[in-house]
Amino acid sequence: MPTLPDGSIQLEHVWKKFRADKTVPKFYDQMTRFRRSIGSGNRYDYRWVLKDITLEVEPGKSLALIGINGSGKTTLLKIISQITYQSAGRCDVAGRIGALLSVTAGIHMELTGKENIFLYGAVMGMGRQSIRTKYDEIVEFAGLADAVDRQVKFYSLGMQMRLGFSIAAFLEPDVLLVDEVLAVGDANFQQKCLKRIGEIVKAGTTLLYVSHDLASVEATCETAVWLADAVAVASGPTREVVSLYRKAVEQNAALTTSTEGLVEILKVEIEASDGGQLRSECDLVVRLRLNSPEAIQANIFLGVSQGSAFPMFIVRHDGSFPAGDCEVVCTMRHVPLSKGRYSLWPAMSAHAGGKGKPLLPWRPAMSFDVMGPDFIKLPEGVMVMSNVYVGSDWEIN
Amino acid sequence: MAVTDSYFGQTLEQTDVSSIPAEPSEDLIYHHRVRHFESARALWSHRDIIYTLAERDFRAQYKQASLGIMWALLSPLLTLLIMMVVFSRVKTFGTEGLPYALFVFVGILSWSFFSGALSNGGQSLLSNKALMAKTQFPRECFPLETMCVNALNTVLSWVPLAILFVIFGRAPAITTLWVPVFILIEIIFAAGICMAVASIIIQMRDLMQVLPIITSLGLFATPVIWPLSNIPSNYHLGGGVYVHRAVVNGHVIPGHWVGGIIINLQMVYGFFNPLGPVIDGARRTMLLGHSPQWNLVGVAALGALTYLTFGYRIFKRLEVNFADIA
Repeated sequence: MPTLPDGSIQLEHVWKKFRADKTVPKFYDQMTRFRRSIGSGNRYDYRWVLKDITLEVEPGKSLALIGINGSGKTTLLKIISQITYQSAGRCDVAGRIGALLSVTAGIHMELTGKENIFLYGAVMGMGRQSIRTKYDEIVEFAGLADAVDRQVKFYSLGMQMRLGFSIAAFLEPDVLLVDEVLAVGDANFQQKCLKRIGEIVKAGTTLLYVSHDLASVEATCETAVWLADAVAVASGPTREVVSLYRKAVEQNAALTTSTEGLVEILKVEIEASDGGQLRSECDLVVRLRLNSPEAIQANIFLGVSQGSAFPMFIVRHDGSFPAGDCEVVCTMRHVPLSKGRYSLWPAMSAHAGGKGKPLLPWRPAMSFDVMGPDFIKLPEGVMVMSNVYVGSDWEIN
Repeated sequence: MAVTDSYFGQTLEQTDVSSIPAEPSEDLIYHHRVRHFESARALWSHRDIIYTLAERDFRAQYKQASLGIMWALLSPLLTLLIMMVVFSRVKTFGTEGLPYALFVFVGILSWSFFSGALSNGGQSLLSNKALMAKTQFPRECFPLETMCVNALNTVLSWVPLAILFVIFGRAPAITTLWVPVFILIEIIFAAGICMAVASIIIQMRDLMQVLPIITSLGLFATPVIWPLSNIPSNYHLGGGVYVHRAVVNGHVIPGHWVGGIIINLQMVYGFFNPLGPVIDGARRTMLLGHSPQWNLVGVAALGALTYLTFGYRIFKRLEVNFADIA
């Protein structure tokens, strides 16, 4: 086996199975299993959570793992960090691993912040001496100077997360694994973390990053692997993998569009107001054919998103809709969308509030492509949240 | 995934899901091989973690108690007080002329270390499962860490022991210098049991329910309140001739066995329960000023090492699944 340089990760045909017993292993079940093991050789039912994963990261590179919940991202990280072991295949990681899989795991609620810095640092593989030298930096980064002498159980979740991340941020391992831990921090701190991660990578640490926040994935990682149903379905440059993934998510969401609400969508059309191609900054005309069983007074919303259920912007109109079929035409003016694929999400809600069946649930109705200039290249470690305001005109026929 | 000549990640590669076999081929199956030398080295390089976790538990134990760490001293003192009251009233075993409270307290000291290590260490993997599922360092750290906490608590119990010495107007004999040998044997024994129990409890939580029963039973099965000499050192197993009564040179010798298989039950016992010789040895050296019975010490050390070997092997064998089923 050739020795790898510190910081490299090599996975070859890694498989992992989990037990899929329907029952807890009571005595009776143990006996059943024992009988079965004599019979067929299979000791228990299982399912594969990772199938034939091969990937490679060179020292100092960054790789993102994306995929929906339960696709095996965290399990893969755990195998790489040797917290758990693969069922088949080979996994070689060289160098010291810093695994930030859960910020609160190493934190003991009864201890003070200061005691926790030493505890967590040690657990993450930092020597006492090096924690002592970095202690001030850690506290400063976490912004917890006032709170370090308090017991952690009196911290807010965000403060705990800041404490955990700050310790990990100063570990300086050869391989850093980060699993969806930034979600609790406020926007300001998230930005700070992303910047810090960028610095760590620049200093030569290999990064493996798991997140549902595609914007931050694109901002931090060069390459990405998309996991779906235990399989690595695509790998390559982050931008391309992410756009594939986005497309799949949208398709999935569109599939689940159903007649859950009172109002039914019969048809959706999007076109540019001049009849041409959809371009950046053009006026977007959305035609919705709706069917409502009764005349209603309601708010109608139209949102535009990219790859997630959270819209980049949303427009609203308060109107009355006749019983039966009706057509809603909405013109969004000067839509500030750059080149790419987007989803349109309609929704309707009655004025009375969220009682009973929603009129029209928040679901993607269709996706559309916009031509135009590429999105600007962002400064390092910066992600966009796309809080955009768009004016709109409405008419109801 | 298709492996191409291009450097991984440079070009977009898509995998045909149907090309992936349903099961990995036989030669890929991962076998967890334990390299004992490397494990020992990893454990040594992570010794900081053991201290830190022990410190965590020790500190957390007394957090928000207004007397704080004083309790570590107070609770053994209170135990002592209760014992003094109880043992001044109950019928006691023969103690070779030692004050019963002193006799028992030496036993209780080493027993409480062992039972504490067993109950805390046994559950150490379970109670640290959040940490275990998210961080990577040798898993042995958890049971060993709880043992450190127990050791610290036991050391603090030496204060009441000293008080007892003063009360009874005695001083520890010079042979007390042998005591570290017994402590070492006990630590080895406890570590072995701890690791075995901790790794089995993860899979079979039943053991958690049985553990308190076993420990309270063990208290009576171990010479804590009775002397080891209650176990015969020359037990007649069978065979030989029973001489009913003999008169030799005018002396009357009562009935006894001649020949046959005579075994030293103390040594057999000492192998399976090294705590027996440990407690007995501590009493002998510290209180009576005798030198240790080396045959018993040897047997106990052998037993303790056997427990450690098996405990460690069980632990390492089951280690693969810890993070998955904890």
